[in-house]
Amino acid sequence: MSDKDFLKVKELKRSFGTGDTRQDVLKGLDFTVAKGEFCVLLGPSGSGKSTLLNILGGIDSADSGEIYINGDRLADMNEKSLTQYRRKHLGYVFQMYNLIPNLNVKENIETGAYLSDNPLDIDELLKILGLYDHRHKLPNQLSGGQQQRVSIGRAIVKNPDILLCDEPTGALDYTTSKEILHLIEEVNKKYGNTVIMVTHNEAIRQMADHVIKLRDGVIRHDTLNKKKITAAELEW
Amino acid sequence: MVKQQISPGKRPKNPLAKRVWKDIVRDRKRYFMIFAMLVVTIGFVSGMYVANNSMMTTLDEKVETLHREDGHFELSATADQPLIEAIESGDMADMVTIFRERAYAEAEDEVEKAVREATEKEVENQVESAIRTQTESAVDSRLNALKASGAPISEKDRQSAIDEAFKKAMDENYDSAVNEAKKKAFSSDEYSSAVSEAMDEAKKEIDKTISEEYEELADRYELDDDSFKPVPVSVYELFCKDNDETISTGSSGRIRVYNERTDVDLYDILSGRAPESENEIIIDRMHADNADISIGDNLKVGSVSYKVVGLCAFADYSTLYENNNDTMFDALTFDVGMVTNKGFERLKGIPHYFYAFLYEDRPSDIYEEKEHSDRFMKALITQTAVSESEIEIKDFVPAYANHAIQFAPDDMGSDKAMGGVLLYILTAVLAFIFAVTIGTTLDKESTVIGTLRASGYTKGEMLRYYMSAPLIIVIAAAIVGNILGYTVMKKVVVAMYYNSYSLPTYKTIWTPDAFVRTTIIPILLMLVINFVVIVKTLRLSPLRFLRHDLKRTRRAKAIKLPRWKFFRRFRVRVFLQNIPNYIMLFIGITFVMLLLSMAVGMPETLDYYKDSVNDMMFAQDQVMLTSTEDDDGNTITTKTEGAERFSLTALEYRSEDLSEEVTVYGVSDNSKYIKLDSDLDDNAESGSEIPVYISKSFSEKYKLAAGDTITLSEKYEHKEYKWRVYAVHDYSAGIAVFMTNARFNTVFDREEGSFSGYMSDEMITDIDEDYIAKEITSEDLTKLSQQLDHSMGSYMVYFQYVCVIVAAIIIYLLTKIIIEKNERAISMVKILGYTDSEIASLYLITTGLVVFLSEFLAMYLGYEIMSIFWRTIMMSLGGWYDFVMTTSGFVKEFLLVFIAYIIIAVIDFVRIKNVPKILALKNVE
Repeated sequence: MSDKDFLKVKELKRSFGTGDTRQDVLKGLDFTVAKGEFCVLLGPSGSGKSTLLNILGGIDSADSGEIYINGDRLADMNEKSLTQYRRKHLGYVFQMYNLIPNLNVKENIETGAYLSDNPLDIDELLKILGLYDHRHKLPNQLSGGQQQRVSIGRAIVKNPDILLCDEPTGALDYTTSKEILHLIEEVNKKYGNTVIMVTHNEAIRQMADHVIKLRDGVIRHDTLNKKKITAAELEW
Repeated sequence: MVKQQISPGKRPKNPLAKRVWKDIVRDRKRYFMIFAMLVVTIGFVSGMYVANNSMMTTLDEKVETLHREDGHFELSATADQPLIEAIESGDMADMVTIFRERAYAEAEDEVEKAVREATEKEVENQVESAIRTQTESAVDSRLNALKASGAPISEKDRQSAIDEAFKKAMDENYDSAVNEAKKKAFSSDEYSSAVSEAMDEAKKEIDKTISEEYEELADRYELDDDSFKPVPVSVYELFCKDNDETISTGSSGRIRVYNERTDVDLYDILSGRAPESENEIIIDRMHADNADISIGDNLKVGSVSYKVVGLCAFADYSTLYENNNDTMFDALTFDVGMVTNKGFERLKGIPHYFYAFLYEDRPSDIYEEKEHSDRFMKALITQTAVSESEIEIKDFVPAYANHAIQFAPDDMGSDKAMGGVLLYILTAVLAFIFAVTIGTTLDKESTVIGTLRASGYTKGEMLRYYMSAPLIIVIAAAIVGNILGYTVMKKVVVAMYYNSYSLPTYKTIWTPDAFVRTTIIPILLMLVINFVVIVKTLRLSPLRFLRHDLKRTRRAKAIKLPRWKFFRRFRVRVFLQNIPNYIMLFIGITFVMLLLSMAVGMPETLDYYKDSVNDMMFAQDQVMLTSTEDDDGNTITTKTEGAERFSLTALEYRSEDLSEEVTVYGVSDNSKYIKLDSDLDDNAESGSEIPVYISKSFSEKYKLAAGDTITLSEKYEHKEYKWRVYAVHDYSAGIAVFMTNARFNTVFDREEGSFSGYMSDEMITDIDEDYIAKEITSEDLTKLSQQLDHSMGSYMVYFQYVCVIVAAIIIYLLTKIIIEKNERAISMVKILGYTDSEIASLYLITTGLVVFLSEFLAMYLGYEIMSIFWRTIMMSLGGWYDFVMTTSGFVKEFLLVFIAYIIIAVIDFVRIKNVPKILALKNVE
């Protein structure tokens, strides 16, 4: 397996409901993502992008098709190994930050660090995240952007191979969104994690290495971005 | 892309562990409530276990050290040495052979005497007749000679000559002739065969009678036991006299005074010393406390005065039961004392000839003890029966069946069991409250859990985290509770025991049992209940958590409600949303109501019996006479108005659990106290079983109704009586049977017109005290309620307060969950412009209604469960008292719990008021 085939998806299908209410959400997807790539899954609501992300993250399962991550076939893993897979290789960032309300910033990040055998240095990470001065604050004392930074910190502190981001800027304003995107960009550069980000924001495609556009459960476009711009340069 | 400048850090300790403490601090009020409740309960139960175990172990040790009897029996008179030795052999006497030999020997003499007498009579008649014939013939031949010589001889002359000659002949020859004839007759074969024939007849009759009587006795006591092995015992005299006890302030009841105890049933001196002179006495500590008697006081036993020199606990009186058949012990008006042998001689009255026995081969357990006792009773009955002296057994009480010995340990044992059950119920209730709380937390933190699970936290890690707080609380509560138990609570429980029983000095014994039951079991309960609830939820996929979709069964649509007003529909929605919490609330209230049924119902029942005892007594005064005739042989009478003669005896009713003493009354025809059907006795002719009335208590306890047959038996004799229940007489103060006095005398083979005493609603004062064996007044019937009231009445009031607190805590914990769950909704309706009172009415009225309705159902359930529990207690005791709960009792129960709710409603109102409006606008975290 080469770094180009770090993540390989073949004929992936997923549907919900049965009989008349059956809805095919993913109708046979095929794509690959290279190691260290910043990949954006783009599409309107209901296009199946979040379902795809959940399946990649091992918290949902496909009806058929194959997923290989770093050569490992996801379908071969039972629930226990899937948990270990998430523990060792994945970092998750959600639209809602889902922080633990009575743990402070540093402790929230520690919840991620605890899962890794070789986590990043937390203080250094806090500085990179711009949260060092806020490290003793509780989540409800932070702004939305700061909370999302904590959430990103929690995801990357364990130094995951893949960072899965589900609409990380969905609940944020323009400026804060750009800050967060910049941070993810920095993380991708600095730590070399493969980033797969789900968004419906067309503008974000410009900062990605790889753009996969979904609609009605099928891939409409699967392109590599040759003229990539930085998050700071994004406008929408 | 290559990773740049990575600075590896250290893997931190599990941050969730840190969070557990933060959770506890955040929810400190809730945790404190649960902690406090557990500490108090575990503390009390642990104290109970420690006190109990220490006391029970002490009592067990005292069995050996104080040579406590293995049982005792009472005889009608002093047993002579041969009888004592026979009893001590523990072997059964061969009653048939002995009775037969005695009867044969007696019969032999009788038969021979009868045959000899008959033979003698026959011989005498024959000799007399021969002499008369000879004399007549001699006189006639002499007179014929004279007649022939011409002498005039009239018939009169002839008769007088014959008489004279006969008299002379008799005087001269009769004795020698009779003796000779008798000699001949007695040595004849005819005589021998007549004697032998008569003897055979007599023997046949004897064999028949003995075998009939023996068979009945053998049947009853299973005397025909080929595998019988003797149970050798040592028998000790334990004579005592019952008398009135008087102290300087007046009568303090009755006292049973024993002579000096040196070998068996010794005593543990709690203060003072044993009597040394004839004027000194040592008495029971418990009664001394109750009657306020101190060392140095003068105590009058009957008319004899003694100085109290010591207070003690007798090995055979850990509970002051006057008679083994009494429903309840009586430490208030019954006392036990001991004086020196000389001091005993000073006492008047006839002693009770009690004999205590100790098995030589000590039984190793209760089963062996019962088996020993059964065998020994056979030996005792047969040996006493065959004894040369006319002695009867009046009572036989093996130690295991002796209430005075067994009641305290049994009761302490059941207290312990009950304490344990209460602890487990309460722990289970609290564990469920914890589980419901955790369920709410899981729901609230659903997305966080989803994120953590998605990040790679295992189910096990999440489970351990959510289990930690309940476990920490229960472990901490168990430790603090046990410390309290071993120190403060132990003393409280011991004081309770000393307040009811005559117990010896004890030493605290550290017991692992208390630890296991009050620590390991509550922890396990908490662990299992929470484990099940948490695991059930954690089984859901991380995605379900992320989507906040934790309902296992998804309701397709919201339940459609009728077109009620908005507020009413809102409240119904609140109810539907919180059904699991309300179920817990109902269970909690039922638990509290069960406790309240005891705390309110017990004193209510006692009060009821105390208040209505006068109505229950069919006559206010009942006097039992020692004899119905005075010293001059005249029938003892009374001029008391309305006095009626009655007869009384005690029989036994055997059920599976115990042999219950039944008082059988014979009352006057047309008695105004016990109204019997005038043709009751006429009814007897129609059936083979005699129709009788039974008391209401008898009917209720054993579920007997008119038409049923009851079988009563004499205690130590072979007689059984089968009677038909004719009707139930409304009398609840005792287990009794009523019949007419005439019937009574026939049934019990008494002379016509016999009676036992007088009953009247007026006090009977004109009978000489010497002739009065016993007087029964209302005080005798209130003994039970007074003693129970003394033993636990005051605790019940405290217990009621405890129930209110428990109810308040349970309601507090559950309503807190309901409000917390709805905080965002409350915040939102605040933003919409609803006032605090309107919001409170939405949430509090729903809970209030649930509490209100739960109370009614819980009261009913609590009452029913308590009635079953009460019935179980009463079935193991003699007598019967129904569990009574008056309307005011129910109202009290209801109000106590509702007051608890009102207090919590006020707290909840403040809680609702404090929900910030901003909450609804914040992110769901």
